[in-house]
Amino acid sequence: MGYLNNSSITVDAILTKKGRELLARGRDEFKITQFALADDEIDYDLYNADHPLGTAYYGAAIENMPIVEALPDETQMMKYKLVTLPKGTARIPVVRVAQSVIELNANESTIITPSTVNFGGGNRRFGYTAILSDSDVASITATRGALNQAASVPQFIGDSEAAQSITVSGTQFQITGKELLSADKQCTILFIGNETGGRASVTVTIKKVEVATTTGNIFD
Amino acid sequence: MARRSNFSRYSRTSRVSRYSRSRAPRGRSATSQVEQLARQMANQIIREREQAKARQRLGRIFTDFDATDDILPNNVETVTRGLFAGNTGSLTTMFTSSLLTATQKTYFQEVFSTADPNVDPNADSELSMAYGHFHGSGSKDLSGNLNNDTPSRAIYKQYAQILLAPNDKKFTFNGEDSDHIYVLNFNRPRMREKLDPGNFELTLAQLSGSIGAGPTTSGNNHTGSAVKVSGLGTYYTIIDDSSLTSGGSVNEAGLVYNLISGSIDAGVAIYDSADPHYYGLLYPQHGVAILNATQLDKSFATYGLNFSSVTGSGVQGDNTMKLFTALSSSNALTPSTTDGGIQGRSSEQVKSTYYFVRIKNAEYNYSNNPSFVTGSLGELYFNTFINDPQVYITTVGLYNTRRELLATAKVSQPLLKNYTREALIKVKLDF
Repeated sequence: MGYLNNSSITVDAILTKKGRELLARGRDEFKITQFALADDEIDYDLYNADHPLGTAYYGAAIENMPIVEALPDETQMMKYKLVTLPKGTARIPVVRVAQSVIELNANESTIITPSTVNFGGGNRRFGYTAILSDSDVASITATRGALNQAASVPQFIGDSEAAQSITVSGTQFQITGKELLSADKQCTILFIGNETGGRASVTVTIKKVEVATTTGNIFD
Repeated sequence: MARRSNFSRYSRTSRVSRYSRSRAPRGRSATSQVEQLARQMANQIIREREQAKARQRLGRIFTDFDATDDILPNNVETVTRGLFAGNTGSLTTMFTSSLLTATQKTYFQEVFSTADPNVDPNADSELSMAYGHFHGSGSKDLSGNLNNDTPSRAIYKQYAQILLAPNDKKFTFNGEDSDHIYVLNFNRPRMREKLDPGNFELTLAQLSGSIGAGPTTSGNNHTGSAVKVSGLGTYYTIIDDSSLTSGGSVNEAGLVYNLISGSIDAGVAIYDSADPHYYGLLYPQHGVAILNATQLDKSFATYGLNFSSVTGSGVQGDNTMKLFTALSSSNALTPSTTDGGIQGRSSEQVKSTYYFVRIKNAEYNYSNNPSFVTGSLGELYFNTFINDPQVYITTVGLYNTRRELLATAKVSQPLLKNYTREALIKVKLDF
């Protein structure tokens, strides 16, 4: 007679930096209301459907893998979230943007409208979260809000390690290049679906301002 | 009339009962049919609602907690640990610090478990020891003042101020006031919230002091820096009286226990529990033990340890070193099966909230992990995953309504999830 596995698993959670901040702020701002699941460190290439020992061993390499500890940096956790989809789904909802590379001049703007394919109406309700990696290079605003606006990733503003990042939420975004005097600069914008969880990134290059030089006599 | 009346009453009754008999089966049948229909409709409504809920969940990465069923807030759990560095329950080897200034040493000695911090900068500080005298005896004011502002007076007043009632100036042990005390003050990070009553033991070796030395020349020469253990191999162990029904009280300083003769080495055992010998007071919430110097000064036969504390006026007695010597030497005297020195545990109440993450069979069977798909169109990496997807849960994220990640938890092993599996993950968040 063997022992049965326990039916529930108990795990200890740690607060993220955002969690600590809200806890310190008080006024009931720290209130957990929902959960999500992720498989950040799983490489499904390790799943071996041809394992000679049969089905029980298909996922053995994954199941025996030790898991690294949780990090308090919320930007480095929960990157690849599990999603609920109808049985028989052949394609995962994918977040798309029309351009993966954008080049802008100073003060020039462009509109990006992310979309979700493979799932009708995906992310329409909660929209997308856009994270601009460097606010010195460009600015970003949401020109069209989602039906229910909420960010699925933390706000980076004020965080010393990522002081240059900007996070906005919506369904359409406007990116405007900033005036760069020394050299061209690049930044990335990461779009994350707030419902389906997919992500897409865009590389933005802002051209430096060409300042015309004039010849003149300094004694004039 | 009477007969007719009786008859009519009979016939009416008879008619009613006939009516009842004939209609009852049909009535019951109609009622049950209505009930059945109502039940069917209710089931259909429930089914439709469940289906609507399931449809709502599709394409979702977040699931709301049910505040009543899924969240169990404010569970209080008492966590105890060894009182000393590295979660060690016994402090048997002790070092004083040569980094303290001469003036500091007149007030207290800091005790380290691994080495003198002057030798090893990473040495672990565990506690401080001090001697206090109500009148300031047994120490000298090194600042040159003549108004009796001696360190021992400052120490006594300091602890009296912290631990006694405002109108109480002297420590009272078993009903008797004492003019002088020894203090053990455990470092806050070591004791966390409080010392754990019932798991505290001091082992004090008998010293070689002259009994009743008092403020005499010979007694004053018998300072702490010159003190030695008696060499007789004798010692007393002292514990708190929390195991006694009469033990412990609560006053201005919170919980207070008497320190009495006894041992915790093989379960709590009090020596002469009907008439225990009193050595001091334990204030768990302050992490402080106050020992009655008057009792420690007594001879071994009268349950003292021959401390012979120096109580001369204007004499630097280094009495603190007597307590240090008695404690640090005691481990060599105890049997190999038991520890001398100081034994103790810290205690801390941790408030936790449990979140029950319930994952139904139809939920969370697909992943946004880039290795789960192939190509740019989101096609599943394995064709078998179309009807039988297999994903592995490694992380649970807890979010607020703004979907900001407030806490995360990792499972110890990847947890397989597919359409034939449900999971319940209990996430514990300590505050």
